[in-house]
Amino acid sequence: MNLFGRAKASRKALIAAVALTTVASMSIILSNGPALAASKKIGGSVSIWAEWTSTEQQDFKAVLQPFEDSTGITVHYTGKGSNMDTALDAAVAGGSPPAVALVPDPGTLDTLAAKHAIKPLASIIGSESKNYGTAWSALATYKKKLYGIWFKAANKNTVYYNPAVFKAAGISSAPTSWSQLLTDETTIANGGTYAPVSLCTDIGWPVADLFQNLFLKLNGATAYDQLATHKMKWSSSAVTNTFAEMAQLTGASGANLLGGMKGALADGSWPNCTTSVFPASGSPTAAMVFEADFLTSNVPSNYTPGNGSSCTLSAKASPCYDTFNFPAPTGSAYAADIQGSGDVAMLLTSTRQSKALIKYLASPSAASIWANLGGFVTPNKKVALGSYPDSVSKADARALTSAKAFVFSLDDLQVGWEPALWADMLNVLQNPSASNVTTVEALMDTQATAALGH
Amino acid sequence: MTSVTAEGLKVGAPRASRQHGWWRRNWVSIAFIAPGIIWLLAIVVYPTIATVRFSFYNESATKFVGLHNFASVFSTDTILTAFKNNVVWVLIFPFFVTFIGLMVAVLTERIRWATAFKAIIVMPIVFSTTASALVWRTIFDLDPHVGVVNAIEQTVSDWFSTPGAYPLNSAIGQTAVSLASFNTTGAPGGALASKSAVQPGGTVMMGLTRISSATLQTLGAKTPVAPQTIAGGIAGVVWNDFSPSQTSNTTTIVSDEHGLPNLRLSLVNSTGSSVASTVTNSSGDFSFSHVAPGSYHVEVPASNFQTSFVGTFWLGSQSITPASGLNQTAQSLLSVPLIDLAMIISYIWIWAGFAMVLIGAGLAALNREVLEAAEIDGATEWQTLRRVTIPMLAPVLTVVFVTMVINVLKVFDIILNMAPGSSQGPATTLALSIYNDGFTGGIHSGVASAIAVILFLLVVPVMFWNLRKLKGGSA
Repeated sequence: MNLFGRAKASRKALIAAVALTTVASMSIILSNGPALAASKKIGGSVSIWAEWTSTEQQDFKAVLQPFEDSTGITVHYTGKGSNMDTALDAAVAGGSPPAVALVPDPGTLDTLAAKHAIKPLASIIGSESKNYGTAWSALATYKKKLYGIWFKAANKNTVYYNPAVFKAAGISSAPTSWSQLLTDETTIANGGTYAPVSLCTDIGWPVADLFQNLFLKLNGATAYDQLATHKMKWSSSAVTNTFAEMAQLTGASGANLLGGMKGALADGSWPNCTTSVFPASGSPTAAMVFEADFLTSNVPSNYTPGNGSSCTLSAKASPCYDTFNFPAPTGSAYAADIQGSGDVAMLLTSTRQSKALIKYLASPSAASIWANLGGFVTPNKKVALGSYPDSVSKADARALTSAKAFVFSLDDLQVGWEPALWADMLNVLQNPSASNVTTVEALMDTQATAALGH
Repeated sequence: MTSVTAEGLKVGAPRASRQHGWWRRNWVSIAFIAPGIIWLLAIVVYPTIATVRFSFYNESATKFVGLHNFASVFSTDTILTAFKNNVVWVLIFPFFVTFIGLMVAVLTERIRWATAFKAIIVMPIVFSTTASALVWRTIFDLDPHVGVVNAIEQTVSDWFSTPGAYPLNSAIGQTAVSLASFNTTGAPGGALASKSAVQPGGTVMMGLTRISSATLQTLGAKTPVAPQTIAGGIAGVVWNDFSPSQTSNTTTIVSDEHGLPNLRLSLVNSTGSSVASTVTNSSGDFSFSHVAPGSYHVEVPASNFQTSFVGTFWLGSQSITPASGLNQTAQSLLSVPLIDLAMIISYIWIWAGFAMVLIGAGLAALNREVLEAAEIDGATEWQTLRRVTIPMLAPVLTVVFVTMVINVLKVFDIILNMAPGSSQGPATTLALSIYNDGFTGGIHSGVASAIAVILFLLVVPVMFWNLRKLKGGSA
């Protein structure tokens, strides 16, 4: 009854908040300088493509609604799913691209900019370009011209934990340094009841994500980019050190992992690996799980975000989930370097309607609408943290907007040998001995050279 | 359509009237067959040709690259793994499924409820392979509480080595030493012992950690109390030295800690031989009375920590052939992951019914007189089967075998659904590689098409042979 009431109340609050921001965003559009005020009731239509389908598509349509209402422009949205890049490639080659497109990787932006298939944005969006930090502008810049707006982003630097399990082991706050994380693991293991980590292994990509986080925090974004392009060898000491630290985290023969190494391999399929930390019923068996902020969607709905004092161990009472940033070693200069992914909006055909749309997408009012709906974070730093519905997504947004450097998932850039890289990651995970690490690193260099040509 | 044109050309213009007649005679059949032919051309012939073309082009199918894709197929370890797995499947699966199909068919001939029995055996063909794969994935699960195979193994294993009251978690490589905390250290034979020596009239406190709260609850553990001295005896306590409220305190007993009940202890003298033994009570307290003067240690024998069974990782990638230490390519070609066997067993379960039905039909069509003659001549059941039934069934058995070879060359869905993520790579097959390389992650249509062409070339000869065999059988 109580729960029900609370859910209802929060829903009411959410509706109110959405209504408020909608009104606010409309007033911003209406009062936002001559371009949009004059364009009130421009009319006509504009096409936009992005990868979002189902729930995300609905949310994005909610973002577009105030724009359509205030300008009279009809927006034709097409959700392309995971084929976004391929579809856009084909459309550009075929000469009928959408007016605006959002793609999930910076590589496409560079390719299209080199082909002059997208338009520079500086003069179109004006001061809205200041809504983004330097790390983000750099990622949307090709030959010193701004070509894109990072509308949505995902943070892969998150570690999800069950606050009640931490408390049961006598740990009151999340670790903020790498060594603290390792100490906390030992403390949780000493408690004897919970495994410190439920490790997602799947076909290797979650292990690659873990490696990438650790590599970034130990060596920084510059080294990360060098490794991503294979200018740095896999056999370099930076990689070896990262593997050694990763072995610390898993413990000897997987001592820190739920079910040990065998258990991690047998039950580490995504998203099964999250259920032992956030079970839908019963009690958790592990304390934390590493993955990007999309993990939130795998946490059962009865879990409350945050590390409150009322969090309990039972999935029936009031269970909680919370995140902390993947910690860097104490004093590391790379603590604010972040790994993740995002969707960048680009202008392909220049019309009054499409210009108005991309300017709207760059404004904080557009992103605020989706932020309010949840399951969304934006690097747009003008979006008030208050727009986010809970403490977990607030922390997520804070980490993104204050990122010193932002790097994309390294494995996705390994065209031609990505599955091999995942297999290699699983290999090192299972056998982190120095001799095996040397063997696998040499193998990775061979594979990378064969695939990337250098 | 093409055959019509060819016919027309052959017949030629001078015989136009005869051609006209041909049309008139055949237009109905052509009209009926045309939609089918067009459909076939569109969804079989065209894609086949397009795939062959793609296999010679680069990723975006814009540039001719010759045999490059085929070269990378044979030099990529992950694809070589797929070849190896296909070979393993072809070597094991068709033989066993045919053999088991034959056995079931022969045996069901002579039982009373044959039809019902056959229906049950055939049923798995009706199930979706995905559903079957998920069922078998559960059957082979690592956790004995879930997987029935490991549950059986656990039951048998527990007969031979009974787990102690505080079983070590061998899944995470736990040893008794890792439990040692206050005044406790490792002793020979996997036991633990008190660090400091004790004399009669003294007390011993031993702290252990990493004991699960579930174990303590089951044993009814209570709050420990500091031991009281006994004249001429040794008293002590063994407790779970972990307090959530004071994680760093490992030297004294804290109120939210628990004693360790049911712990078998022995008193060891200075020469290392055990002089007395006892068991702790529910608050972890124990005492040895009437101890002769001397210096002693309290030992916690290894039997307390006898590990519980850890399941066999049936769905794992560990090799059943000795392939460790080889380089990556050799490992790809020579290691046979355990999961291959688990999946083959499951797949036999799925297809045995199909084999049984075909072989059963063959059996029914056999000339009974020959079988009766064998019986009259005094042949045993086994002799009849080996010398008469099987030779006479040979054509059917070959068809079943070859059909299963084709079937298994294309094996796909059971792997996708049965292998956990970490085993997907080691258990992959050519068909699965086509899917993974062509349609997931970075799209490599060239390489995927090359694999498809190779798979096609492997299947085609077997298929033609089978078709000829089938034609011969029906004639």
